[in-house]
Amino acid sequence: MSAAATGSTDWRTRAAKQTRLAFGQALLEIGAREPRAVVVSADTQDLLGIRPYIERYRDRFVEVGIAEQNAIGAAAGLATTGLRPYVCAYAPFITARSMEQVRNDVAYANQRVVIGAAASGISLGVAGGTHHALEDLALMRSLPNMTVIVPADVDEAYQATLATLDIDGPVYLRLGGRVEEPAVSEADAPLRLGRAVQLRSGRDIAVIACGALVEMAVRASDALRREGIGARVLNMHTIKPLDRDAILTAAAETRGIVTAEEHHLAGGLGGAVAEILAVERPTRMRMVGMPDTFAMVGPTVPLRAKYGMSAEAIADACRALLGVG
Amino acid sequence: MHETREALLKRLESAARQVRRNVWRALRAGGSGHAGGSCSAADILAALYFHRLRVRPGEPDWPERDRFVLSKGHANAALGAVLAQAGFIDDAVLDRFYGLESPFGMHPDIKVPGVEMCTGALGHGLAVAMGMALGARIQKQAFHTFVMLGDGELHEGSNWEAAMAASHYRLANLTAIVDHNKISQSGPVAEIVGIDPLADKWRAFGWEVREIDGHDMEDVVDTLDALPLHPDRPTALIAHTVKGKGVSFAENTYLWHSNNVNDDIYERALGELGEP
Repeated sequence: MSAAATGSTDWRTRAAKQTRLAFGQALLEIGAREPRAVVVSADTQDLLGIRPYIERYRDRFVEVGIAEQNAIGAAAGLATTGLRPYVCAYAPFITARSMEQVRNDVAYANQRVVIGAAASGISLGVAGGTHHALEDLALMRSLPNMTVIVPADVDEAYQATLATLDIDGPVYLRLGGRVEEPAVSEADAPLRLGRAVQLRSGRDIAVIACGALVEMAVRASDALRREGIGARVLNMHTIKPLDRDAILTAAAETRGIVTAEEHHLAGGLGGAVAEILAVERPTRMRMVGMPDTFAMVGPTVPLRAKYGMSAEAIADACRALLGVG
Repeated sequence: MHETREALLKRLESAARQVRRNVWRALRAGGSGHAGGSCSAADILAALYFHRLRVRPGEPDWPERDRFVLSKGHANAALGAVLAQAGFIDDAVLDRFYGLESPFGMHPDIKVPGVEMCTGALGHGLAVAMGMALGARIQKQAFHTFVMLGDGELHEGSNWEAAMAASHYRLANLTAIVDHNKISQSGPVAEIVGIDPLADKWRAFGWEVREIDGHDMEDVVDTLDALPLHPDRPTALIAHTVKGKGVSFAENTYLWHSNNVNDDIYERALGELGEP
């Protein structure tokens, strides 16, 4: 079946508004376009919606069960034989538990392994702290050779998954859980790796966000605009390699930078932006994200707000940095 | 001219002696290293690289080559020795062991021709080798994948994840060789955390098991020639070996898991090993 047969409307319906399912749908297109693609599951067939892929490409599918270390090691081995493995996994387990396999077998050995990591951040809010992934970006972006992508919505997740075909090295693709993420990206726009997407213009302040916080940043910008504040919004879908030009330009053209992410304040997007600015253009910053604590149990959306990850919190951070309101 | 069985065994035994000489040579160059686990593995490595493996030293990335993963990567001096003796790498590399920008450090690096994976962090190689064996099956390639594990390494639980999956997938194109020298970094494996009954463990995980004398070249060669031992199962060879084999003061002691090697120790070791 051709790539076109997967049809954008069709996959969008199936993926609803969940990035994890968009990844699974994109694998169908990858299966058609790349005969070397092979999907590795760690008992995650429904988590990433890969049953249609398995049905069509059963001979290019490996189930390893609930064994994340084995999933990564096997994927690295598959990659050495010329195949292009896509590992489907839970973000909290595939990063923290199998970190050494990711570091040695994949990143150090520089193998073309793509890790589709669903249930990131506190998207499994009710599952509790054991199932949250709030340190995964810190872990993954500290690895040489690794590309780290955080799609903001299903279109971007689909396009990002397709974009991995052209990446000559390992990739960490951070995906959400059961919470539907509103669309913010342009439908069917190819993802340009390492190039931030400007969603709102503004010269007073710039909000650099990723993942679920991008839509909140847009709402914050719209609210600030009504107060006469121009808040630029950059969707920083690629955490590594980071779009330093967009960051430095935003720092030069505004009075400060606010970062926003569903991740611990240590080591994530905010840290990555600060690392560049501290050295190249010291700039006043505020960071929106998870404070240094484990999250309590609760539904994801109110849980995000509880820990200061909301449009209101982003707008407040902008006002505070500008000294208004 | 066809090589007789007797000539083959003599050639491999000689190659294994040369491997041991090169191990001590490399460790002297580096000033220290893992003599014990390198020398326990030497005979098997010689049999693999100079008899069993279908590899092309001049074309290390040949897609149809057999794969060998040294999961117990601390025996890298022995791997370096066979790769140099086979012609994958320049023999002079062994005199620059651990040196700045040397391709050879204490553990294998995939960037070195003939090295299939970065290993030495234990509990990684079996999963990677399983992936290679699956890769062969998916791409309908005939190569066989070998992985050598330490016995102490089997404490790492990730091995058993891979062992379970490899038999689930009936990977007869995969052979794990346990270098069962019975001694780990801090002492006897049985005293650290016992791994017996070892053969029963592998059998329970669905593998075809054979116990061999890892220093009896005829036993090693006969077994490697008989692979796969079962048409639907991966093979586990439990090779009974002696840590530090060939040098009396290094044999059967955890002290020579890793130790300093100076010129005097090197000369004594070479004196015991004799000419290849």
